[in-house]
Amino acid sequence: MSDPLGFALAILVLPLVAALAAALLSRSSRAELAHIPLVTASAASAVLGAWLLLLVDDRPGHAVVGNLATWFAAGKLSVYFSVTIDPLAAVMLAMVTFVALWIAVFSSGYMHGDRGYGRFFAVMSLFVFSMCGLVLANNFLVLVAFWEGVGLCSYLLVGYYYDKPAAAAAARKAFLVTRIGDTGLILGVLLLWKLGGWNTDLTAVFDHIRTHTPDTAELTTACLLLFCGAVGKSAQFPLYVWLPDAMEGPTPVSALIHAATMVTAGVYLLARCAPLLVICPEARFLVGVTGGITAVLAAFLALAQTDLKRILAYSTVSQLGLMFLALGTAGAISPALAVTAAMFHLFTHAFFKALLFLAAGSVMHALGGVIDVRKFGGLRKRLPVTHLTFLCGAAALAGVPLLSGFWSKDLVLEAVQQAGHRGPHATGYLFLFGVALLTTFLTAFYTFRAYFLSFWGAERVPEVPEVPGEAGPHAHESPPVMTVPLLVLAVGALFVGIVAEPFTHWFSHFLGQTPTLAPQVLADGLAPRATAHGTTAADPGLNAGPNHGFNWTTAGLSTACALAGIGLAYAVYRRGEPQRYPAPVETLFSLSRNKLYVEDIYEAVVVKPAGILAFLAAAFDGFLDGLTRLIAAVPRFIGQWARPVQNGLVQFYALSMALGLVVFLTFVMFRVAR
Amino acid sequence: MITLGHYLAVAAALFGIGLVGFLTRRNLITSFLCAEMMLQGVAINFVAFARYHGNLQGQAFVVFILAVAACEAAVALALFVMLYRRGKSLDASVWQSLRELGVPPAVDTEPLPAAPRAEDEIRLPPAGVRPAAPADEEEAARV
Repeated sequence: MSDPLGFALAILVLPLVAALAAALLSRSSRAELAHIPLVTASAASAVLGAWLLLLVDDRPGHAVVGNLATWFAAGKLSVYFSVTIDPLAAVMLAMVTFVALWIAVFSSGYMHGDRGYGRFFAVMSLFVFSMCGLVLANNFLVLVAFWEGVGLCSYLLVGYYYDKPAAAAAARKAFLVTRIGDTGLILGVLLLWKLGGWNTDLTAVFDHIRTHTPDTAELTTACLLLFCGAVGKSAQFPLYVWLPDAMEGPTPVSALIHAATMVTAGVYLLARCAPLLVICPEARFLVGVTGGITAVLAAFLALAQTDLKRILAYSTVSQLGLMFLALGTAGAISPALAVTAAMFHLFTHAFFKALLFLAAGSVMHALGGVIDVRKFGGLRKRLPVTHLTFLCGAAALAGVPLLSGFWSKDLVLEAVQQAGHRGPHATGYLFLFGVALLTTFLTAFYTFRAYFLSFWGAERVPEVPEVPGEAGPHAHESPPVMTVPLLVLAVGALFVGIVAEPFTHWFSHFLGQTPTLAPQVLADGLAPRATAHGTTAADPGLNAGPNHGFNWTTAGLSTACALAGIGLAYAVYRRGEPQRYPAPVETLFSLSRNKLYVEDIYEAVVVKPAGILAFLAAAFDGFLDGLTRLIAAVPRFIGQWARPVQNGLVQFYALSMALGLVVFLTFVMFRVAR
Repeated sequence: MITLGHYLAVAAALFGIGLVGFLTRRNLITSFLCAEMMLQGVAINFVAFARYHGNLQGQAFVVFILAVAACEAAVALALFVMLYRRGKSLDASVWQSLRELGVPPAVDTEPLPAAPRAEDEIRLPPAGVRPAAPADEEEAARV
């Protein structure tokens, strides 16, 4: 029982079984039990995931690669169902299943009595299954398959209220926008197949690229194509537009998408492919820049939103931007440190973002579906548990010192700051460091704006609930089945950071054992390029393990930014929304409220032309249809004319035959006679 | 001396009579008999030419024709019985409902003879059972 492979497969298969069980239950009369399979399976998976962490920790420095079966093989292309279990995958698995467990528990209360209860849990289970498969996959094509599975499940869940036009449109948007990225991903996989010596297994590709260094331009293209997939899935600029709209789905779905199963896929993909980023300075800098732009842009967009869930959605986009920013430093600094920073932020973010969404869901539950912060306020008396847990999540997200968000953000900042010291794009990274600090300030501000607007000021509850029959004016705290997950995740949001990293360095030690991030891999990969960029493989900064001292300057700067943001929010919003803002602020807020007109630009540049093209295609199709109908009308017309011959009288038929015979014989005789 | 021409004349006469009868009569049985007559006209042609050429090929054909005609007769008469049971008439124009959709029905300009009475319905006794003796000897004699 100490084989990590068996554990990993059990973690993978349990949610699938749960999906099937929930689907079967949803067709039966006991649909109200449909949450049991998912809760049981994710609980078991979470336990196994924790155990798997210990097992992986026991064998440092090498990954378990299991080749389960051949999917298909033709010519040079052979695709195996192979899985890899290394610290990176183990951390993701444990995190995904743990967060999914509490979201599932919360949903069983939140979705209680819903019409599609069984469907909801079946797709949620499938979602978790797809994500686990994505995490474990050691083959690019298998990874793409699970990647699409994640996309499908997000489509199904965002469009869960499919009879609501906005939800259907949001689901379509999510699917189509991520599809743009997926196209890039598939192209990137094909290019890597070529560059990696016609291998499709990740480890084989990395090995081959390390020993046979390919053309830099091609490798950079491949990296950027992979990143394109990550941009779509992880909602980075310019493809972030689907994520805020995805709030149309039920709130636990948002929590799952944002915390565990969907948007983290892109970060994880790049973390997996860190060996490639390491040897592509241009590609990794672009990753960092994209991350930086996204982080600050999304934080700006979140400033003036009025929909609580939308604020959280933009904050996710922004935090994902920070993760990509950290990943973009892999190679400029030790990849182990860069990936650790990104993954640690992802890890803590999963806790506090799931918590924030579930708390928002609890608010919605109490107020009968109302989520517009202009319509309610001062809820801290009515919803004490929700209030406290939301505060924990918000503080962690804002980066209040000693909370988990603080430590992980600090790690990200430190990675960027170190990358600014030397290397090809040092100045650029320094600039990005400034961007990250600005993002920290904005994040603290908008998070606490949402918090103060929702829970402080005079108590206001909406008179008219959006869902009839729900407790609108009689808002009350949610039942324990919803508050317990909030409390558990709140504990996580508060303490997971301080336990895992700053003093013990557990997390960075653990992730540092991932073979693909090991220093000697990096040294091999860098050796051919080292001279070109004026660095050497022996550079101590590059080969250093993930150990790092605590950087007081960085921490101090980020703390100052966070506290400034919180203080500003407190000054402005502690009594509710102010009546009017000063003119320049109002301009900024209106820009933010209108989402910087990015969506309008997309509408004009992409959606409208596509609509016109579709209209033209439909018109041409109509023309072709008309043409074929015209051709089909000719025989019908002739038939109209010839049909009376078939009058059903035997004698008439016989007479026609006789006359025909006469004509034939006459013809023959005259021919013969001539 | 009876030459080939005589035979052919008889055959043509038979065929012509049959054809005219088939085209003009609407009674199914009569039509069938006329068709048989045309068939026999053709058969005489075969035999005549066989004798004229001095071989047996035509004769062989005729044997086949007779055999096929016998089968035909069995099938056709069985069909007529069924048709009569359904339509209570042997008039071929009763079945003109088999015409193309939307074509108006052919209507008789002169009235047809009166429809047969119900007691004229043909009842075949079941096979292997002796038919009951007619109750009325006179009626039996009349039938």
